[in-house]
Amino acid sequence: MDALIDQIPCGFVSFGDDGLIQHVNARLLDVLGYKREEVEGRHVETLMNVGSRIFFQTHLFPLIAMKGNAEEIFLLLKSSQGDEIGFLLNAARHVRDGKTVNDCALMRVQERRKFEDALVRAKKVAEAAQEELKETNDRYEEQAIELELQQEELLRQRQIADDANQAKSKFLAVMSHELRTPLNAIAGYVQLIEMGVHGPVTEDQLVALDRIHRSQLHLLRLINDVLNLARIEAGRVDYKIRSIALADVVATVMPMVEPQLAAKGVTSLALLDGAGLVRADREKLEQIVLNLLTNAAKFTQRGGTVTVRVRKDCGIPDRTCLDVEDTGIGIPEELQAGIFEPFVQVDTDNRKEGSGLGLAISRDLARGMGADLIVKSVPNKGSTFTVILPAD
Amino acid sequence: MTDIIRRNNVNVVGSGTQPMLLAHGFGCDQNMWRHIVGAFSDDFKIVLFDYVGSGKSDLGAYDARRYSTLDGYADDVLDICHAMDLHDTIYVGHSVSSMVGILAANREPDRFERLILIGPSPRYINDAPYVGGFERADIEGLLETMEKNYIGWANFLGPVVMQNPDRPELTEELTASFCSTDPVIARRFAEATFLADNRDDLAELKVPSLILQCSEDLIAPQSVGEYVHASLPQSTFQQMKATGHCPHLSHPEETIELMRAYLRSPVAA
Repeated sequence: MDALIDQIPCGFVSFGDDGLIQHVNARLLDVLGYKREEVEGRHVETLMNVGSRIFFQTHLFPLIAMKGNAEEIFLLLKSSQGDEIGFLLNAARHVRDGKTVNDCALMRVQERRKFEDALVRAKKVAEAAQEELKETNDRYEEQAIELELQQEELLRQRQIADDANQAKSKFLAVMSHELRTPLNAIAGYVQLIEMGVHGPVTEDQLVALDRIHRSQLHLLRLINDVLNLARIEAGRVDYKIRSIALADVVATVMPMVEPQLAAKGVTSLALLDGAGLVRADREKLEQIVLNLLTNAAKFTQRGGTVTVRVRKDCGIPDRTCLDVEDTGIGIPEELQAGIFEPFVQVDTDNRKEGSGLGLAISRDLARGMGADLIVKSVPNKGSTFTVILPAD
Repeated sequence: MTDIIRRNNVNVVGSGTQPMLLAHGFGCDQNMWRHIVGAFSDDFKIVLFDYVGSGKSDLGAYDARRYSTLDGYADDVLDICHAMDLHDTIYVGHSVSSMVGILAANREPDRFERLILIGPSPRYINDAPYVGGFERADIEGLLETMEKNYIGWANFLGPVVMQNPDRPELTEELTASFCSTDPVIARRFAEATFLADNRDDLAELKVPSLILQCSEDLIAPQSVGEYVHASLPQSTFQQMKATGHCPHLSHPEETIELMRAYLRSPVAA
């Protein structure tokens, strides 16, 4: 029987629950390069590499002891030369001669192991790739969440800014209205005193009353400007867009500033060749042009020229341009961008009369009716303000 | 409470009142105690369980972070103590469960009367001058062997089980073949076990303990058992004739006899 077991084409080893080897066949001894006396009586673990020994103690032996058998277990055995050789093990537990023994058949796996190793390696590569993919994914997700949070924060900040701006406009509108009432009362009483309703008035008193009256008018103008801007910003201005002749607009406005220009010794020119029709709110366009001309008069010295020019072909399709050009002090380039913001005045050292709201109001009005207002200026040479209007 | 009972597949046998909590080691489940249970069931209330990830525990409750260290396994032990309201417990831990029991007893010493530690090791990897018995490469070798054996069938059978919840016999078969049904969980348990270092936790133990040291135990060599005995206050060291690492499976009579003797003896000072 032993001879038969020695010759079967697989390894055979039998051990007790104490782990000691009781039988081993010639085939296994041959493959591992041991002599029978070197192996029998030794612990079966000593045939294995360390990893397989731990596996034997933690998995395989409990399995055989509990279930009575084990099938297709992969183990690495160690040859006498120190080589590690892969085996598949089937085990069965028997009682022989009154003692429990564990019989194991061992099939060498060489070619099959190559495939299995390749499979394990491929699995590891796939797992690593998957892990990396997951990490990348997680990173992107984190970034996406962060971006979303930033966007939410931006929207929130914008909402806060919009709310604050609305509140400001509302406040200005209400305050301007409240301020005009007492100013009107001042004007009324000044007039009554001037008329002598309250008794005789001396020449000196008349001079003083005139100053009060002029100051009242100035204050009223400032307040009207503030009120206008607040209304425009609050979106409470109605535009009556119609087809209007630019020549008519200039003809209406020019006479209003001519006395001022003449008094200052500034020449005025109107170049209206080919001035056609535009689509605009006439009243508001007149307000804009008057404001630009008043500014031009204010900032141009004696001997200078203020020109109003209409250009039908101004390089923008379907647009007509109206220039108000002066030979005044000009605007430094770095200030040109801010000139249309409220309360900005260029010549801060030599503050001219005004609220600093005129250009802001003018541009808001222009934009409100589908036009625009831009500036080109060279310091000490002059400025050109251009209203770009939709041609009709 | 029922959650923990179901999660850890807790089973109670015996007619005694004092609890005896049996904690299986890495690679196995509560079936390991089959030769021991009968000997103590008259005198104790025996509580058997599977760690989450082992045996018939609820794999859905597995949390990779919690079970990445032995503390997570100690949580399982204490969860069961709380759910079952266990006090004055005789805790019997095999292999890695020796350290799990020490971690649990360090956190809640009042729950435990004595610990019986079968083949304890606080650190498996050598750290000169400490000798744990293994190098890191050896542990890699174990992981590779596990992987090979799982790839042999569990990798193919595993998905079949998951896709056939109405066929529990497939899971039964897996559980019967290997006590750990999920190769990924088994690998993590192996790493938590064999890469742990609990040497500093030994001196803190306030509960008396018995160390059962097998002969020719590769996993927990003689010198490691002696190290544990020297480090654990109130510990008793018992050399066994039994060889290997699973005396309760291979030599149940001797194991039972030594446990009984210890439980009868007064506690070591």
